[in-house]
Amino acid sequence: MKRKLLAATLTTAMVLSLAACGGSSSSSSGTAASGSGSSGSGELQVNIWDNNQLAGLQQIADEWTEESGVKVKINVVDWDNYWTLLEAGASGGQMPDVFWMHSNTAQMYMENDLLLNLDDYIAKDDAIDLANYYEGVVELYNRDDNGSQYALPKDHDTIALLYNKAIFDKYSVEYPTDDWTWEDVRDAATKISEAGKADGIYGYAINTSNNQDGWYNIIYDYGGQVITEDHKGTTIGSDEAKAGMEMLRQILEVAAPQTVVAETGTDSLFNSGLAAMITQGSWMINTFYKAEHHDDYAWAMLPYADVNGNGQCDKGERYSAYNGLGWAAAANTANPDAAYSLISYFCSEKAQKEQAALGVTMGGMKGISEDFANAFEGMDVSAFTRAEEEGELFFRPYTRNTTVWEDALQQNGGFLDAWLNPSDPAVMAKACDNAQKIIEDAIAAE
Amino acid sequence: MKQKMTVAEKREARWAYLFVFPTMLGLIVLNFYPFFNTIYQSFCKTGDFGKGNKLVGLLNYKMVLTRAETWQSLWNTVKYAIIEVPFGIVIALLLAVLLNKKIAGRSIYRTIFFLPMVCAPAAVAMVWKWLYNTQFGLLNNVFHTRIEWISNPKIAWISIGIIGVWSIIGYNMVLFIGGLQEIPGDYYEAASIDGATGVRAFFNITLPLLSPTTFFIVQTRIIGALTIFDLMFMVMDKTNVALPKVQSIVYLFYQYAFTNGDKGYGATLVMVLVAFIMIITFILQKAEKHIVYHN
Repeated sequence: MKRKLLAATLTTAMVLSLAACGGSSSSSSGTAASGSGSSGSGELQVNIWDNNQLAGLQQIADEWTEESGVKVKINVVDWDNYWTLLEAGASGGQMPDVFWMHSNTAQMYMENDLLLNLDDYIAKDDAIDLANYYEGVVELYNRDDNGSQYALPKDHDTIALLYNKAIFDKYSVEYPTDDWTWEDVRDAATKISEAGKADGIYGYAINTSNNQDGWYNIIYDYGGQVITEDHKGTTIGSDEAKAGMEMLRQILEVAAPQTVVAETGTDSLFNSGLAAMITQGSWMINTFYKAEHHDDYAWAMLPYADVNGNGQCDKGERYSAYNGLGWAAAANTANPDAAYSLISYFCSEKAQKEQAALGVTMGGMKGISEDFANAFEGMDVSAFTRAEEEGELFFRPYTRNTTVWEDALQQNGGFLDAWLNPSDPAVMAKACDNAQKIIEDAIAAE
Repeated sequence: MKQKMTVAEKREARWAYLFVFPTMLGLIVLNFYPFFNTIYQSFCKTGDFGKGNKLVGLLNYKMVLTRAETWQSLWNTVKYAIIEVPFGIVIALLLAVLLNKKIAGRSIYRTIFFLPMVCAPAAVAMVWKWLYNTQFGLLNNVFHTRIEWISNPKIAWISIGIIGVWSIIGYNMVLFIGGLQEIPGDYYEAASIDGATGVRAFFNITLPLLSPTTFFIVQTRIIGALTIFDLMFMVMDKTNVALPKVQSIVYLFYQYAFTNGDKGYGATLVMVLVAFIMIITFILQKAEKHIVYHN
């Protein structure tokens, strides 16, 4: 009897574990199936990586389905696996019909003829005029060697400073304003970190991985460039960039230690009320808008660097990174006309406005993002749109294989050393020199 | 001496081949082809999306073998194995012996200890990641400490090893229980008549008669531990300062082959690991004669 019981227990456990395996494999085969969308079943398979945007985009896609009669299935695959899956699909000739492209790898996909060339379609399409979109995003999906367009701008994003009013109130520190310099951030962070020591509250939190949404911006404020405009070099080791990173170092001295932000994450620290300020991108608004204490949260424009010392923000002293996703189609899709039609619809003025009004993202088309600022009732997110009206934008630094140097900069031998020794200016300067070499070597290997 | 097969035997062999064919096909497509392709790629500078591979001879090997991170990662992997294999086996053996006795609630205990095997490894890692968290983690809160379990390079490898031990105990235990039940009860009866019970019986009867099972577990667990990847990948952030002292060689392979897109370099790292595992396995096979007690 006992033995039977054991057998039964073990069998149950086995079945459970099989079910667990089955569960994971069916979900992965689910996404794999999405890779084989070009089966001509009349349904378009669309892959994206941001779950926050699914509902809004599906709504827009359904409107297109009403016009075209072709169904659209949107699959969400998380960021890391998205690229592994897309690359595997590309190698095996089984890509989704329509999907997002990103600056990290766009050139590589275009050069290998994996994306549908959109030139002829755009020429015939009255709804699309490339002049209406952000130049940087259009250029990004334009192949260098033949000048063809392979994706249309879906959106663009900017960066702003997020702060927790409750913490500022608690320690009687004045709220950040749009006139703040990075020195002001440092001073406020110092006050909060000192006063909040007993409660484990930090004035500021930033990790080495907060690049586009963090330290890249400071480098540009001070006149350095992470990747030069021709995408062939960097000035991250220059005196200007070093001045920017030295400013950041002074903030790091009072910010949450690197081991803390690496384990807990800056967003979690902020949402737990343990960090007073972080910088974040417009794609993250939803996360904070839906957070438990969102009433305490407010956004300000990114601080500027008063490089010329005249006490006001002049041209070239306030930068925000911007980036834009592109809607692309697979070169071998079974239904290229429908795929383009869907892309064109997503990028049309009507859908772009809708995308902004639904609070999905700001548009890839210029001048339609006012609605976005109004999409979050009770939270003022105009800092993101003002960043481009009052400050300047630089396109998120990218090269042909961005990940190689982008990852290396975040780790030992890159800026991690400086994050771990924030009290030593020499370590930060050395990290800038190392970064210069890392990027140059990576570009040479591309 | 090989004898010629009779007609009947030949016909039988034909059927045997037919039955083995599906398995062989699976092995060839899913194992052998990738294996040889990996060897080939390790001599290539691989192009994007599996196109345009260029043969570069031993260049990848030269880079892999001269970089300190390769050897550090291999050492990290060995350190992980040093924790997971012995502790995973000793604890599992003790539990198996206890749970092989007639005690109340035996099946419930067995189920509980086996449960970690049933959980998806990624889920296990996520739970442990938050248990270890310095700020909010349960461990630090219960013991009122501020230990950086997974950020301090000196202890992070042990923390990861503990997760490995916790995950594998149940599986090893079930194998041991299977082995224990094959030991005939007569031996213990005879021993108790001679006055050997308890601990003495364990060391003189149980351990030697269990040695084939133990050897099997040791061998499979060493190979399993040397190919560890998911724990480091899920528990530690990319920017974790302890990562270089903890990342396994398969983690390094993933980083190069899939994140950086350098399949050739990744293939070479895997070949180094294969060579290492082959050496270990060879030594173990040689040692088997001396360690394993055959009835």
